[in-house]
Amino acid sequence: MAESEAGTGVAGATAPVVLEMRGVTKRFGEVTANDHISIELRRGEIHGLLGENGAGKSTLMKILYGLYSPDEGEVFVDGERAEIRDPKDAVSRGIGMVHQHFTLIPRLTVAENIVLGAEPRKGFSLDLDGAVRATEELSERYGLHVDPRARVANLSVGVQQRVEILKALYREARILVLDEPTAVLTPQETEDLFGTLKELVGDGLSIILITHKLGELIGVGDRITIIRDGKVVGTVDASSTDEGALARLMVGRDVLLRVEKTDVKVGEPRLAAENLVVHANTGVTAVDGVSFEVRGGEILGIAGLDGNGQTELAEALAGVRRVESGHVRLDGEDVTSWGADARQQRGLAYVPEDRGSKGLVQDFSLYENNALKTYDERPFSRFGWIFPKVMRRRAAENLRAYDVRPADPDARAGSLSGGNQQKAILARELSGDPGVIIAAQPTRGVDVGAIEFIHRRLLEQRSESKAILLISLELEEIRSLSDRILVMYAGRIAGELGPDATDEEIGLLMAGRGAEKSA
Amino acid sequence: MSEERQEQGTPLQSRLLQIGIGIGGALVFPIIAILLSFVIGAVIVLITGNNPLAAYLALIEGAFGSAEDFGRTLVYTTPLIFTGLAVAVAFRAGLFNIGGEGQLYIGAITAAWLGVSLGGLGLVAIPLALAGCLVTGFMWGSIPGFLKAYFGAHEVITTIMLNFIGINLAYYLAQHPLRQSGPIPGTESIPYGARLPLLGLSLGRANFGILIALLAALVLYLLLWRTGLGFRIRAVGLSPGAAEYAGMGIGTNTVLALAIGGSFAALGGGVEVMGVYGNMDVPFVANLGFNGIGVALLGRNHPAGVVLGALLFGGLTSGAQEMQFATDVPLQLASVLLAVILLLVTATKLVEFIIGKRARALAGVHLEKGLGG
Repeated sequence: MAESEAGTGVAGATAPVVLEMRGVTKRFGEVTANDHISIELRRGEIHGLLGENGAGKSTLMKILYGLYSPDEGEVFVDGERAEIRDPKDAVSRGIGMVHQHFTLIPRLTVAENIVLGAEPRKGFSLDLDGAVRATEELSERYGLHVDPRARVANLSVGVQQRVEILKALYREARILVLDEPTAVLTPQETEDLFGTLKELVGDGLSIILITHKLGELIGVGDRITIIRDGKVVGTVDASSTDEGALARLMVGRDVLLRVEKTDVKVGEPRLAAENLVVHANTGVTAVDGVSFEVRGGEILGIAGLDGNGQTELAEALAGVRRVESGHVRLDGEDVTSWGADARQQRGLAYVPEDRGSKGLVQDFSLYENNALKTYDERPFSRFGWIFPKVMRRRAAENLRAYDVRPADPDARAGSLSGGNQQKAILARELSGDPGVIIAAQPTRGVDVGAIEFIHRRLLEQRSESKAILLISLELEEIRSLSDRILVMYAGRIAGELGPDATDEEIGLLMAGRGAEKSA
Repeated sequence: MSEERQEQGTPLQSRLLQIGIGIGGALVFPIIAILLSFVIGAVIVLITGNNPLAAYLALIEGAFGSAEDFGRTLVYTTPLIFTGLAVAVAFRAGLFNIGGEGQLYIGAITAAWLGVSLGGLGLVAIPLALAGCLVTGFMWGSIPGFLKAYFGAHEVITTIMLNFIGINLAYYLAQHPLRQSGPIPGTESIPYGARLPLLGLSLGRANFGILIALLAALVLYLLLWRTGLGFRIRAVGLSPGAAEYAGMGIGTNTVLALAIGGSFAALGGGVEVMGVYGNMDVPFVANLGFNGIGVALLGRNHPAGVVLGALLFGGLTSGAQEMQFATDVPLQLASVLLAVILLLVTATKLVEFIIGKRARALAGVHLEKGLGG
């Protein structure tokens, strides 16, 4: 429907259409998640599907994979109308899906995972040798190297993703859908993945690549379809567009992708970790002797792949996780034994990475959430009584100032979109004029418009000489905001870099190879 | 997929609308459950060869037909409000208090003891004895709280087990140190001057206990929504993670919520002794604590809902006796009706299926939450 002419100039424009979704509409109650979406995929094409969180990308792909049934619209595979009622139908039509969260069984081997559900048999028993052979053949044919006998639990995330792709190929997928595949990868792994995808389309596969990262698609995609609010706003040729144009289509207005940073005089150390050792819930050492200082007027970025101790570090600094040894200092004072509320009263703001279950009480109203840490302080409380009216009034101001929508203090927090939830947390944390801010993944799952807003607010705090610790998995975010960058690997600081460090430099440290290199 | 909800109209309008939807949504569900259970009950009455309409008329007549009938209903309602509140406050903190029965007995024996020993003071003895119930109930209720907060013992198990201990401790005290001189096992009777006065107004046996129960419901409402402690209890109940991150102690609030629940149930036992029986007999009235769970469930753990739920329970119990006199339908029908109502309230998916999507949208969050309200 909203198909633009831009697509016609592509090299493979004459290639046959292998998949077409026509006028697909899906409603959830009042919300229309997909509004007459049409998209076509040509043979040998990498087709990017771009949209903000909640734009309707995942819904569309769930319809394609038979997990949802559309209210209207049709799906054609190889020109033939396809009724896809469940994933089994999808698989039999040659559609394979690599989910954002892997569906592998960690205790099984690579080969066992790949054949699971479609196992080769020898009489009544599993033919495990056959599985290994089939895996070897596949990985040979597509150049996706894996050890069939390795246990999945021992593999890196990048290799696990390769196994997921092989799993789809083993089921003879000709149309491969990858949902946010780069979210868990280092820059190097991302590059490897894209290389693999290009080889796959060379072999005649067709790929739909779902992402909310703008830059990514320009290098690999042939065409890009942009979805906003459940509607297709355009399909563009990847070679004739740029990030700015994509962002505009995606958000519907001009977006500053990189906020301007002003020079700020760096002051005294305000937050310090000294030889910090912290355990994970499992009792394993998650943070293993980490030391650093964050000074006023400075943003210290902590980069690293998920699960390298960043979460536990943030929790220990905020006072919600026990410190095994070492010290935490706020403005020079040792607060290691203080609780979270004492640290907060001392001027520590904390934006936790798990916004849904740690940052907000979902079933509380916005005004209650806004007072979540200060409900027992004046003017919200006196002599143990709380004053909802005052809370409501203060919340209304905060919500307006932070552009939370709806700015209704009585709205249930859980009814807001991710971006607005995060803005509501920021409004609470920053309105108390804290001296130190710990922001863990402040923009994860947040739309582009909100990202810009959140970045501006963090930089604003920096100009006010606040000390900010930014923990993020998004390299771009770390680089554009930080004055200094620490890379965490396996619970330790793998190295310190400046904001102009290259992807490669950071990537090597993220993969734990920094030490080898310098040794 | 955009989850943003654009509010229309002024904040006040939208707020009133939300409150309206909230109350409507909260009521839709129990009312449907009640109606359905009456339909099912009618089938049962038909099977027994009686006229369901006559039975229900007798039931309602028996519960609310005259001032005296209504007074009796209030007598049955009063203790259920207390035990319902005991469950509700714990549930608001995310805890299941199954210990209302034992807590009520602890309160009853406390009131029986203090009522007799302070009986000479007349009416002054009443607040003193009831305050004593609050204290012993608080201490008794805090036991599972401590076990949960510091040793991780699940409160469902510990509150159930404490029922046995509480009931038998109260019975021991009633039969030995506090036993009256006479053949009947039980405590001495509290002098009439130190008992809760009757309400009068030709309401029969209804006494001031119902007013204390309503006051208790109001107190719980204010506690939950107008104090810092209530704010913490609700935050801990809805999201322990967020509460902990906000610096609220989960353990302290666990202990307090269960202890406050203990106070309410014990107060119920005290009011029962000082308002209805005048002493604690062995055996004492049973199942008030357990029925409190159903009352809280029906009342969606809201103090106002608990009052309504208790009134329904009380009304059915009271009306069933009249129904048995007037028709051939046995009094057990009331128990069956109550059980079916609770089954339907618990089996959210079933009712959802029966009432369809539209009502589901109206009931909104309440359905999703099931127990949670």
